[in-house]
Amino acid sequence: MRTEPASFNRLTRRDASTELVSILTQAKLVRVNRATQEIEPWLATSWTRSADGLRYTMKLRPNVAFSDGQPFTADDVVFSFAAAYDERSASVLSDSLQVNGKKLTVAAVDPLTVIVTFPAPFGPGVRILDNLPIFPKHKLQSALDAGTLAKAWTLETPPAELAGLGPFVLSDYVPGQRLVFIKNPHYFMKDAAGASLPYLDRITAQIIPDQNAEMLALASGQIDLTSDAMRPEDYAPLRRAKNAGRLQLLDLGVGYDADSLWFNLKPNAFAADPRASWIQRDELRRAISMAVDRKHFADTVFLGAGAPVFGPETPANREWFSADVPQTPYDPAGAKALIESIAPGQTVRFTLLTQKGRSSLERGSAVIRDELQKIGVIVDVVPLDGNALIQRFVSGAAYDAIYFRAAATDTDPALTPDFWFSFGSAHMWDIAEPMPATPWEGQIDALMAKQIASADLAERKRLFAEVQKIFAEHQPAIYFAAPRVFVAASTRVTNLAPALIRPHLLWAPDRIAVAAGAPRATH
Amino acid sequence: MLAYLARRFLFALFLVFAVSSASLLLVRMAPGDYATESLGITARAATMEQTRRLYGLDRSFAQQYGHWLARAAHFDFGRSMAYDRPVADLIPERAANTAILAVTALFAATALGIPLGIITGSRRTGLLPAVIRTVSITLLSMPPLLTSLFLVFFAARTGWLPLGGMGGGTADVTGGALVDLVRHLIVPAAALAMPLAAMFERLQSQAMAETIGQPFVLAATARGVPRLRVVWRGALKAALRPVTSIYGLVVGTLLSGSFAVEMITSWPGLGRLMLDALRARDVYLVAGCAAAGSVFLAAGTLLSDAALAFVDPRAAE
Amino acid sequence: MMGRRIGIVLVALWCVGALGAASFAPHTASDHFDGLLNAPPTLPHVRDEAGAWHAPFIYRWRLVDQLEQRYQEDRTTGVPLRWLRGGHVVEGNDQAGSPLLLLGADGFGRDVFSRLLFGARTSLTLSIAAAFGAMMLGGAIGGIAGYAGGLTDDLLMRASDFIIVLPAMYVALALRSILPLVLEPRIVFVLLAIIFAVVGAPFISRGVRAIVRSEGRLEYAVAAASLGAGHWRVLGRHLLPATRGFIAVEMTMLIPAFIVAEATLSYVGLGFPEPIASWGTMLRDASDVRAFADFPWLLSPAAAMFVLVLGLNLIVQDRRPEDWH
Repeated sequence: MRTEPASFNRLTRRDASTELVSILTQAKLVRVNRATQEIEPWLATSWTRSADGLRYTMKLRPNVAFSDGQPFTADDVVFSFAAAYDERSASVLSDSLQVNGKKLTVAAVDPLTVIVTFPAPFGPGVRILDNLPIFPKHKLQSALDAGTLAKAWTLETPPAELAGLGPFVLSDYVPGQRLVFIKNPHYFMKDAAGASLPYLDRITAQIIPDQNAEMLALASGQIDLTSDAMRPEDYAPLRRAKNAGRLQLLDLGVGYDADSLWFNLKPNAFAADPRASWIQRDELRRAISMAVDRKHFADTVFLGAGAPVFGPETPANREWFSADVPQTPYDPAGAKALIESIAPGQTVRFTLLTQKGRSSLERGSAVIRDELQKIGVIVDVVPLDGNALIQRFVSGAAYDAIYFRAAATDTDPALTPDFWFSFGSAHMWDIAEPMPATPWEGQIDALMAKQIASADLAERKRLFAEVQKIFAEHQPAIYFAAPRVFVAASTRVTNLAPALIRPHLLWAPDRIAVAAGAPRATH
Repeated sequence: MLAYLARRFLFALFLVFAVSSASLLLVRMAPGDYATESLGITARAATMEQTRRLYGLDRSFAQQYGHWLARAAHFDFGRSMAYDRPVADLIPERAANTAILAVTALFAATALGIPLGIITGSRRTGLLPAVIRTVSITLLSMPPLLTSLFLVFFAARTGWLPLGGMGGGTADVTGGALVDLVRHLIVPAAALAMPLAAMFERLQSQAMAETIGQPFVLAATARGVPRLRVVWRGALKAALRPVTSIYGLVVGTLLSGSFAVEMITSWPGLGRLMLDALRARDVYLVAGCAAAGSVFLAAGTLLSDAALAFVDPRAAE
Repeated sequence: MMGRRIGIVLVALWCVGALGAASFAPHTASDHFDGLLNAPPTLPHVRDEAGAWHAPFIYRWRLVDQLEQRYQEDRTTGVPLRWLRGGHVVEGNDQAGSPLLLLGADGFGRDVFSRLLFGARTSLTLSIAAAFGAMMLGGAIGGIAGYAGGLTDDLLMRASDFIIVLPAMYVALALRSILPLVLEPRIVFVLLAIIFAVVGAPFISRGVRAIVRSEGRLEYAVAAASLGAGHWRVLGRHLLPATRGFIAVEMTMLIPAFIVAEATLSYVGLGFPEPIASWGTMLRDASDVRAFADFPWLLSPAAAMFVLVLGLNLIVQDRRPEDWH
């Protein structure tokens, strides 16, 4: 892992390392199979939907125990929801478990049955429950009552105190260096043949802050896996290690996310600015999209290991990507004409903020600058420290344009409403706008609302295809290319199920096995 | 003597106070705070407000500073937001790791740099001094990031040494825990020690050459005293002066950790902690690290001044 | 003397190179060739495959594998070098895709050699200016502290301790937030020079102080003082010259440190904006494992610094009195 987990309490932190610890040690009611994007029954074995679509009656798996031996019941489910929604601990999970800004309610009917009630019809249904790990009521109830949940299960907690339903248990934590997980003897999942999972006895997670050092450790066999994908620059040394028989290289194809360029489209943001006549116009963005040669972009930024993309959904999202969406052609002359039409005789110049230290962002902004220079548009690229950039953006300070990436957490667009809806906090070009600022954003809002409520998958896809079309027409955010995802692992590791979403290999840790030899996998 | 020590101690206290306060102020001035760092760019405004309130980040600087000061008086240095542990636990832990590394590197650098500097200082011509000089200059012109990267790369290529961490990872360790630690120590200590040795060598060389040219040395040689004896008895003590004077600085800054080396070799030390804390705008941790750094520096300079008095009685108080 | 002359030549080499960068460099610091990312150097040849002699020419690079960034020389045709054209001393044929890359290309396809020369301007002027600043400041502080002793000494030394301990990164980050978004290079230069001079001064002042303190008790100094020489005169004419050697050596170490520090500070945003090149940033961008394994030409700024520091050391060390063995 790149950094230490911030806590052992998934309620309070969402950093990648805490998330990884949670994946290894905790389980959820349902699981989204990251490789197939399908929902799988997990702690819940089956569920039925009520006629009005608001209530799901879920049957829980019997004879399941936590890692400390205590039985798992419906009370733990109710408790977990209460913990996530607890106002006093300001859990980071709360937002991801809300529909239209309202919480779900859950009730235990009997020790093995719960009823989850949605505040409004919700298309994805129980998929949202992949966001909630189940916590042990017997360990944390007192903290919840006292209002001190936020202070529970910090890094100082002795590992024996942490009880979970996941395939592994934390056995050792050496601050700054590593975490060691051992097999959970009470883990409930079994493989197809009935053998108990997980196959691995122990996982050691090393904390390696530098990407170069991590890559070297992988190539020389000192670690078996990494939780991140490889950079294109790392391809050559890893290929050498593969040829030497030490590594397996997995090419997972183009990923789900791409970096995006967006302008400040807040109404009146440029009120006193002489550029107000053109800087927020659709034509400017369309021109920019036409002026950049996306193939060349992929070649330069991702060394050819990328594919052009034209919207927030990439073809990798098989379920939801609409191929009918019009793609802007590469037409620099047309772009120049468009610019002339909206800003006749003026110099078009704007500042582009981006984050320092992220190679794809720095390279991407350099390519954008160069391509736009060819059509006479001047871009001042200003790389800022990450926090400075976020602060600027979140505080609503003035900016012209930003080039950044906000990764999606789920392929189903209904689970990322903050991006699509005008009032959302991830509606990057105009965040938290109570009412849609433009007619087309209003259209998207309406379509998305229907899409979320509908239970008919075909209908939802149709509605979302409409959304993508409107998006492509107005391009509030411009996308250029998405990288291919490469993952490497040592040849010892078998039975991998690679996925495009992080963590690419460790999302299913219970199935990973090691070829005959020492029962140890490190990462 | 006692008065001098008391004065130094008071100054040191003041230094710690001044540096911690300045750090707190600077971190506040820097854009963003822990909430932006941990929640990211897509966070809802309400969530951000809630988080800020939880960590007390919505208070004014004066309030936060006063609060910190009041608690520091009771030796409670606050809690790190990023690690969710008391600062007073986190820093000594990391400082100990850095100390292991620093002491090893210092020892190696002194043992290498000073004798080599004496050699190149007393002999200007010849192959050996030229080679030593070239190596020193090479090391001085390489950024520490590059040196550590090279060493790690070299270790990876040859496979002789572990690439990072402090050891203890594998279940079966031949030779025991100490040997494991030493093996893990080699790469980071080398990365730290090499440029340091080069610096010592250069300074020592210069000082040595100057001292040898002094009249008293010439006179001693004229009297027939063997050269080696002159060098050892007379010239050496005087020549050690410049290196000793900055030794304290070196010790102090070394104990604060080198970010580049620690990051590349995954050594969990203070240097890495300091910059991670800055990046995460972890206010109390930043103040704590700065305070620790100033303690080390104060101790280092005191040590150095004491050594200076020993080496050069003329400069004694 | 011999060594000293070599030293002067080496340093002068870089100064001339930096000043004449526009002519000596075949390209600007920002010209980039998108098909030649991390391309190896195009070595000039005079004999072709058949053994015939020609005016100096280079071979083109053909991309073999884009992801691995491997190239192969296209030995079918030699591209002759063109001399004294368009303000450049020598260049290849940029239009035909065979630019002269004497030190290869970097990760953005920019000519390393040209960036090295243009970067010399930035890095040399900044680090030398800062080093002089540090010398002035540190020399003054150390001299006064060592001479006056007592409370003044303590105060000055603790003040410089404060400067050493306060991490420059914190200051730089806070500073960056006050400055406007788009930085002007001149402002960055002045700020960095000041920061480096202040941060480097304590290293000089401590050594100067120690030397001044001990020298101050020597006979000649006491004699001078008793003869009625004012404090400043004693300090300036008698004591400080004794520190010359130390200061000189210290400065030769500060200069490379400053060049590298410029890259570190640019990490928090306080650096020179594109397209200004600097050795520090070039080295930082090259700090990747692939630089050692596959693209060693990316490390040429380190070699350049080596030459520079070697030259400086040669100049400095020959100030010693004659060796007497």
